[in-house]
Amino acid sequence: MAEKQKFKWHSWATPYILIFPTLIGLFVFRLIPIVSSFVLSFSNWNLIKDPVFNGLENYKELFSDPDFWVILGNTLKITVGYVVGGMVFGLLLALLVNNKIRGMNFFRAAIYMPVITSSVAVGIVWLRILGPKYGILDYLLKMVGITAPYWLQDPKIALWTVTFVQVWKMSGYYMILFLAGLQSISTDVIEASVVDGASPRQRLFRVIIPMLSPTTFFVFTVAIMDAFKNFELIYAMTKGGPQNATNTLVYSVYVNAFSYFRVGYAETIAWVLMAVVGSLTLVNFYVKKYWAQPLE
Amino acid sequence: MVKKKSSKWIILVLIILAAFISIFPFLWMVSTSFMSEDVIFSLPIQLWPNKLFKAGMWENYKTVISKYSFGLYTWNSFLISFLAALGQIVVCPMASFAFAKMRFPGRRWIYALLLMTLMIPVQVIIIPEYYLMMKLGWINTFLPLIIPSFLSGALGTFMFISVFEAIPSAMFDAAVIDGASAYKILWRVYFPQATASVATLFIIGFMNNWNDLLRPLLYLNKAKLYTVTIGLTRFQTEYTSSWALLLTASVLSVLPLIIVYIFCQRYIIENQMSAGVKG
Repeated sequence: MAEKQKFKWHSWATPYILIFPTLIGLFVFRLIPIVSSFVLSFSNWNLIKDPVFNGLENYKELFSDPDFWVILGNTLKITVGYVVGGMVFGLLLALLVNNKIRGMNFFRAAIYMPVITSSVAVGIVWLRILGPKYGILDYLLKMVGITAPYWLQDPKIALWTVTFVQVWKMSGYYMILFLAGLQSISTDVIEASVVDGASPRQRLFRVIIPMLSPTTFFVFTVAIMDAFKNFELIYAMTKGGPQNATNTLVYSVYVNAFSYFRVGYAETIAWVLMAVVGSLTLVNFYVKKYWAQPLE
Repeated sequence: MVKKKSSKWIILVLIILAAFISIFPFLWMVSTSFMSEDVIFSLPIQLWPNKLFKAGMWENYKTVISKYSFGLYTWNSFLISFLAALGQIVVCPMASFAFAKMRFPGRRWIYALLLMTLMIPVQVIIIPEYYLMMKLGWINTFLPLIIPSFLSGALGTFMFISVFEAIPSAMFDAAVIDGASAYKILWRVYFPQATASVATLFIIGFMNNWNDLLRPLLYLNKAKLYTVTIGLTRFQTEYTSSWALLLTASVLSVLPLIIVYIFCQRYIIENQMSAGVKG
């Protein structure tokens, strides 16, 4: 649009003045830290003394540490569980709240509420709900004759419990994203399918879900990025335990850097995380080029 | 869309169930905050708080606020979140206006870099950031939690690019013909047109900063500087035995946001919906 202007309405410097703060932030808080964390991942450093570069030592140590493979496995399990759970519940809830019922705004707002509250408070209240004996979930299960497992103390279950709480917290967000997609589907198409005699099930799987696919890709991208935001919840609920059962890459970076002061090693873990996130987004970008609108 | 009456009832029941599951933990949190410790550890489980509407009903709240300084933590959180959100609504529209309305060398590159950094997990950049803040002598000040918000905000920038592009170009043309400067067009024409988005970005920025744990945990090590989230985690590690006090503190930490949310939920939800349609 601006190219069509016959005269200059601003000086050459104006756009640079406007983006100046963003540019500073981009370099100082994003690009320089990214490059330095990569460089530091090849060093031995404790934040105080000068870093000592040790080649591939950190990577060798990391890959030969059995705990690392457990942590990587946990991260992948949480990611898959979270993305699938978040998307399935998000879509189901969106289909539910897309109906015209009085007071629907209230229900939508209620389902969205966990999204805006802090993970720390959410983690604490779920600790109480899931608590053995005096927790309400165990109590309810006992009433119907089921002995509840130790949700957060059993290493086989703890990871899925944390994943569940994260899905519970975030499903409302994906519900809203899916709802926007559902409401952008033209009603003509749906009415046409009704006229053609499609059953409700056919309508859902043959019409609504295929037409929703741009939204689905968008939600998928967002959910993958959100799947790695589990530091707060793990910090509040399990601190990575029992025996690394809920330890993830993001939590492990924090512990290594700021509890053990093995900063170089923490950067190595951070870059494994970066590789995981990078490859996942790359896959997604092949499927859909840009979800943020490209510039003309 | 729903044809049969019975299926409409099923849908209503499912929606009520979903809404109940979503808010039950908060009700349970509030209920526990009005209980005494012996009621929490008694069977059968009491749902109704035993202290509600009785003498000493605010006892847990008094203890948490006066003895464990949650009043101060709330103020700290408010100050940080308010200033950080303010930074976002200044810096993002500026950058967006340049991206949306101007053509300049490097525009595509900078845009692509901004887009790329959206996907970087915070754990990848936090250690060099911490080192920088340490060298600047900003540890144990609020500056590391506020200043970066005045310098970057990729998400807000993308939001405002689409908002600004949607503003009718007739307004832009009129302003240019009147000889208004670029800054005047931004702050006097475009910014006032985008009030709803400004409010939304402010609220989202406020909430994100209010709920943040990692950065306050790293940068604030003195009790008088704690935010509510750190206050809560410290409280949890030191007094886990007292569920009543812990959940009272949790209520205090989520209450301000829930009040803001009740008044602004329409803005927040509509903003998220427009983000979904773009994809």
